[in-house]
Amino acid sequence: MNNSHREELHTFSKIVKATQGADFGSAVQSSLSRRRFFIAGGATISFGALLAACGGSTTTDIARIGNAPEKTKLVDAPVTDIALLRTATSLEHNAIFVYEAVVAAGLLSGDAAILAARFLSDHQAHAEATASLTEKLGGKAFNEPNPRLQSIYIEPALRLITGDEAKGIPATDDPVADVLALAYALETIAGSTYQVYVPMLADPALRGAAIGIGEQEARHAAVIGSLLNPGRLVSSFGLSIAAEYQEETDVPAAAYAVPTAFGTKAPVPVTLGAANESGIRTSLNLETPSLNSLVYEYVDGE
Amino acid sequence: MTAPKIISASPVRPTEADTELLASVQASALAIRDLYHAAIAAGAGGDHVASLVAIAAHHDAYAQAISSLIGRAAPQARDSKLFTDNKANFGADTTAVALAAHTLENDLVAAHTEVVGSLEGTEGAALVASMIIIEARHVVALAAIAGKSPVSDTDLFLVTPEAATADAQTTTTIA
Repeated sequence: MNNSHREELHTFSKIVKATQGADFGSAVQSSLSRRRFFIAGGATISFGALLAACGGSTTTDIARIGNAPEKTKLVDAPVTDIALLRTATSLEHNAIFVYEAVVAAGLLSGDAAILAARFLSDHQAHAEATASLTEKLGGKAFNEPNPRLQSIYIEPALRLITGDEAKGIPATDDPVADVLALAYALETIAGSTYQVYVPMLADPALRGAAIGIGEQEARHAAVIGSLLNPGRLVSSFGLSIAAEYQEETDVPAAAYAVPTAFGTKAPVPVTLGAANESGIRTSLNLETPSLNSLVYEYVDGE
Repeated sequence: MTAPKIISASPVRPTEADTELLASVQASALAIRDLYHAAIAAGAGGDHVASLVAIAAHHDAYAQAISSLIGRAAPQARDSKLFTDNKANFGADTTAVALAAHTLENDLVAAHTEVVGSLEGTEGAALVASMIIIEARHVVALAAIAGKSPVSDTDLFLVTPEAATADAQTTTTIA
């Protein structure tokens, strides 16, 4: 105990003496003077400060007032070009996982299966390209699906389509429509992710490379949009155009080849799965990877 | 984890060189808007006329957004050579218009991708990137309007032609 702690303790004992005999029970006609009241309050604060000052930092005793755990040094996680490229590769692997899963489950056939195979091949090429860029910058490529996006979007979405008996989730009534809806959302988000990366990347040459991949993801989304909504390829929502060219509805369709004038960073809603007893289907909002979904340089793959 | 820091020393606002590039992008956007308007006025579009009108409005929006970014440096006038060179393809025939526009939008995607790789300021790069995402979607919509199939004519929908990319790299009529 150092000198300041001794002074605290001395002050505390004086305060205890000063408050002895006070009638704390009758608040209205209290004999506790205003001065004593403040002194008592001060005692509480000083005593707490005293205990805190005396508390050990490495003790393994039962937790009590004044014992605070040692602070853990937090990991420094800057958003570097390498972290962004690793995240891009992980997102490509999320898409690869989805297309491989729907093909393995036999959910697509005919033209839809042909397009899915092409999209899968494109995502494999994109994953190789972003992994190669990561390594050129001196980083370690992350050749796995993004773990967070996999757990919050991909796995729940696929469970809604294929069903999961153990969790009591029935399979969807229309797997082809649901796979197309999921693929549309996923491809839209993939394009948006590269768009979002452009101002975040430090190297302008990498920005060009990133948006070069992003525009291909956008084309995938547009192809699916054109299949889901062939009658209205380009949305009129948000445009100042003559009424005769506006859509005759107040609610935008779920998909378009071209949904907006500019690429957006907005979440993409997707409705999947069988309807519940109230006739309601589950909606997920897919979003571009946020700062807590990036594959920082310290994150290891398995 | 500490609050993540974005590591970039790039300027936010357009530099002088950026402004020149963005001015050129605006002139192209206005020329292409006017080409769509010419086709619509000539009677092209058929069942998809509303889509052509909307695409024209997108290019108008790009020109306005660039004005907001570079202010008085914006030319506010179309690239007259680009307009004149392509005007003959933007008549009343919907399929011909869709195919001509498909080529132009692919050229825009390639040229603007080069522009994004050249711009120093992040605001300009972000804006042009958001245009590219939609220009790529325009390509797909126009291929569909031209009656092409994404299964049998896949590359028309999904691939930026090498010629467009090569043109964009050497520089060129469109920015």
